Amino acid sequence: MKDCSWTREMIPWYANGTLSPEETRDVTAHMAECQSCREELALTLRLKVGVEEELRTLPRLPERAWKRVEAEVKGRPIAQVDVGSFLLGFSLGAKLRRGTMPVRGDLKVLGRNVSLFNTERGGRSERQQ
Amino acid sequence: MRAGKGEVVLSDRQLIARVAAEDEDAFRTLYERFSDRVFRYSFTLLRNQHLAEEVAQETMIAVWKSASRFAARSKVSTWIFGIARNKAFDLVRKEKRGERLPDGPLVAPDPAPGLLKQQVVAGAMAELPEPQREVVFLTFYEGLSYGEISAILGIPEGTVKSRMFHAKRKLAEALT
Repeated sequence: MKDCSWTREMIPWYANGTLSPEETRDVTAHMAECQSCREELALTLRLKVGVEEELRTLPRLPERAWKRVEAEVKGRPIAQVDVGSFLLGFSLGAKLRRGTMPVRGDLKVLGRNVSLFNTERGGRSERQQ
Repeated sequence: MRAGKGEVVLSDRQLIARVAAEDEDAFRTLYERFSDRVFRYSFTLLRNQHLAEEVAQETMIAVWKSASRFAARSKVSTWIFGIARNKAFDLVRKEKRGERLPDGPLVAPDPAPGLLKQQVVAGAMAELPEPQREVVFLTFYEGLSYGEISAILGIPEGTVKSRMFHAKRKLAEALT
């Protein structure tokens, strides 16, 4: 059977349920025989509840935090050129996104955009493991 | 995994895979799942709400940018908390000249007598050295194993256990 020193080291993770099945079995077996380690477990559980309650009182991350993150996700426009008129025109734009600079070009016909090219769409193949 | 009405709930790993493929909706879901946890972890480290908010933002941006480099052998939460920790200490180094740290307890003491025990725990937590405080947070609030904490902090498992031992002793003294 494991000794008190080993068991007491393990008690916080016994209390949060993350020990391996073998470790859990050994701690449980020791607890069955050791009054002082059972008291240590009771103390740890009281501390755990106290810490959880204290941390729940912290405010949540404000909604505004998303705005800055979203800007990075969408990409930051760095250049935009529009030529022509409502009837017929051309638009060229570039932005910074994830360390790259995708560029897109659109033909504008009667106010509607027709995509001519977009380097962003072609640059997504390197991912995932 | 499935939620109600046929809605599929993606695992953290599935979300990261989609984020790596630049799926913005998946990233928003991942943000909802982790940003607040990262904020609380950062606050536990820094005891400063504004800096913790900044760390949470920087961390989630780093997750977006580097999702394709996620090593599948670790848990997503372990990876994200590791990033947050590095961001927090980077920020501390930058802020030291400005002396913005710390700004004291975030929650003002409540005079209600029923909250006395909670105040005692809050006070005792705030008094813990930062290395012990974060082990307590990751164990009791995040529910991580000592192995995962060891990976996040980059220290031996024995050191994690030792920090917890000392932290528990101080918290217990405050409670008794």
